[in-house]
Amino acid sequence: MMPPATDRSTWTFALIGNPNTGKSTLFGALCGVQQRVGNYPGVTVEKTLGELVHAGRRWILVDLPGTYSLAPRSPDEMVAVDVLLGRLADVPAPDVVLCVVAANNLERNLYLVSQVLELGRPLVIALSMVDVAQDHGLQIDTQRLSRQLGIPVVPIQAHRSLGLGDLKDALAAAGQRPGAIPESPFPPAFRDEVDRLESFLAKGDAPAAQSRLPRYLVERLLLDTGGYIEERIPSNGDQAAIRAELSAARDRLGQAGCPVPAVETMARYGWVARVVEGVVEHPVEPVNTWGDRLDAVLTHKFWGMVILAVVMLLMFSAVFAWAKLPMDGIEAAISWLSGHIEASLPDGPLRSLLVDGILGGIGAVVIFLPQIFILFLILTSLEECGYLARAAYLMDRLMVRVGLSGKSFIPLLSSFACAIPAVMATRVIENRRDRLTTILIAPLMSCSARLPVYTLMIAAFIPERQFVGGLIGLQGLVLFSMYALGIVIGAAVALLLKRTLLRGAAPPFLMEMPVYKWPSPRVVLHRMFDRGWDFLHNAGTIIFAVSIVMWGVLYYPRISPGELAPLTAARDRLGHERDDARAAGDAAREQAASTGLAGVANRIEGAQKRQSLLGRVGRLIEPAVKPLGWDWRIGSGVIASFPAREVVVATLGVIFDVGKEVDEPEGSQRLGAALQSATWPDSGRPLFNIPVALSIMVFFALCAQCVSTLAVIGRETGTWTWPAFTFGYMTVLAYVGALVTYQVGSWLGI
Amino acid sequence: MKASGQARAKETQVDLIPLCRLRAGEGGCVGEVLGTCDMVHRLREMGLYDGAPIQMIRPGSPCIIRLQGQRLGFRMDDCAHVMVRVSAVAS
Repeated sequence: MMPPATDRSTWTFALIGNPNTGKSTLFGALCGVQQRVGNYPGVTVEKTLGELVHAGRRWILVDLPGTYSLAPRSPDEMVAVDVLLGRLADVPAPDVVLCVVAANNLERNLYLVSQVLELGRPLVIALSMVDVAQDHGLQIDTQRLSRQLGIPVVPIQAHRSLGLGDLKDALAAAGQRPGAIPESPFPPAFRDEVDRLESFLAKGDAPAAQSRLPRYLVERLLLDTGGYIEERIPSNGDQAAIRAELSAARDRLGQAGCPVPAVETMARYGWVARVVEGVVEHPVEPVNTWGDRLDAVLTHKFWGMVILAVVMLLMFSAVFAWAKLPMDGIEAAISWLSGHIEASLPDGPLRSLLVDGILGGIGAVVIFLPQIFILFLILTSLEECGYLARAAYLMDRLMVRVGLSGKSFIPLLSSFACAIPAVMATRVIENRRDRLTTILIAPLMSCSARLPVYTLMIAAFIPERQFVGGLIGLQGLVLFSMYALGIVIGAAVALLLKRTLLRGAAPPFLMEMPVYKWPSPRVVLHRMFDRGWDFLHNAGTIIFAVSIVMWGVLYYPRISPGELAPLTAARDRLGHERDDARAAGDAAREQAASTGLAGVANRIEGAQKRQSLLGRVGRLIEPAVKPLGWDWRIGSGVIASFPAREVVVATLGVIFDVGKEVDEPEGSQRLGAALQSATWPDSGRPLFNIPVALSIMVFFALCAQCVSTLAVIGRETGTWTWPAFTFGYMTVLAYVGALVTYQVGSWLGI
Repeated sequence: MKASGQARAKETQVDLIPLCRLRAGEGGCVGEVLGTCDMVHRLREMGLYDGAPIQMIRPGSPCIIRLQGQRLGFRMDDCAHVMVRVSAVAS
């Protein structure tokens, strides 16, 4: 047992509890500012710490992930156990454990408490959601519960900051006493087996105290037939002998009427029943709350789906509509800055690097921040209020058909804004195979970065036809089809993966439908900023580096002055003409000369791009992309967008001699016009027609042109094979898709 | 040793039926939980232990059930199968 914390000036507290109990709200209310200090080593669990000062001491709170049980089944779940036992080097062992228990669901919450008690640390219970319990007609006798548990129980309402003072006092008092040695809820037969196992493990062991396994872990070794802990125990001893001993012990327990692992739930829930006796008064008739009535509509087979579709539609409309203003603002700021730099530096590699490479790179990343923030603001609010669980429930039926479960729905939904936070959101999926499948199809959901390409192609090449009396437009239909294509192909790929590489049945679906509640603004904003930071941190660094490389590839090698001679001559001539016109006060001629000058400047740049490395590579692969209806210019643009699709529109602008400022309306109209008038050099045929535009869009819809996403996939899966696989299969899919689109489209004579 | 703190004592006849056959509003006590070892344990941890009162809210696949103080979305399939004890006499 650990000594009480009294003498030290810094105390450590661990915060644990079931999901959906208001734990995050309590953490925020106690600590104010959270710090995410990266991940725990080797796993995807984020380390969240907070600090407060109480009675002259510094208190550090470690927020552990919400969990229903301390029976670890994976390295991620083991983190909570390790932290509570003080087995992690960088996190001090907690002096007091604060367990959040929801009053409306005492029994299941106390199951976790029963496990935490066995760890031997001082424990304080914060009883949350008492108001919810009262709505359900439950009466809780808190004092009696505290007496029967032998632990302080403090009722709180974190969202109203009630009870926090009492809670802090209880925590301070608990830190002054050593943890109580709990009475084990297990039957004697089980306890004897644990004793036997403990001495077996201690045999032939270096007698140092640290290397001995804590009793809780010995129990887990015996109980967890999945074998996760078995693999983790230090091999001071014969692995095979330990396994044999475990097997024998389990057989003996089975014969004694304590089958493993059922004995744990029997023992613990039996203990829970004794502890809550007389504490909870259930209503005579179950109360029908407003949440129940809401659920009747929201989970309805038909109306539920309709409402879900409307919610998603509203969500995406809001994302695009609300993001417009901040995006325009960011654009304006970047243009102002680049104009400033262009004015103050002489022409040359440095200026170009700063403006095109660096500023362009930063701009390409930052421009998507508003969309990411808004999407996650809405998604987190929906999650906190409890609706997303219902959405997962409704979508489960469809997801099962492709071999996944409803839990995969939410990450895939996030992927429509940006795949990076979506891939990280797959952590909630317990089964590794299903998590991997979800990660591998997430990039197929058309993200925000594809939208500029779709918009450009559709505006320039899809005619503005209306159907159903103006209700449905052809352009809108094509846009919708691009999104639908990603979904359909994603479903097909998931099916294929679940039948071949990642073979297995559809994962089971067991998900709590939490009580509806108003989301806490602090929690929502925190999570929103966390996701935004994830994107900035992951995508930002990579796109930034890649933009510089892309700049280099477009800038070098320089075209020789001799080749540029006719264009430079024209530029000088127009320059003189403009100056003459200005001196003579002829505004119209000056204007004409200026426009001509801009045109020549663009053509000079275009010639430079053709000479560059990128242009040469584009011409090299031209034979490969001709069947898709593309020429070297489109090929170059597509290659340039492999690291980050965002850059394609600007690159096309440069390659087609329209200049870089093609994001404002008139710029993009000019680009559209340039594309419409582009022709094949040998035959004079138009380069772009509808099948070509469609094949470009299909390519972008299906291709993994985002190094940042691939990097995040690598990090989350812990290996480079999966990002490589994603890149490979999607490129093949995109090529074949674009090929088929162009050939069939031309053959149909669209 | 059964954790059946709230099991009703006076049933004249008890049927053991699969959970998926309960209609909306019908309830009983959890009987057997079958399936893969991991899923069975997970279900029991979540509150579907022997004798726990259970009520069907929205049947189907997946279904929504009410246990003590919580609602769960749950799909019955090869991995997870729950049998419920219902009293044949309505009470």
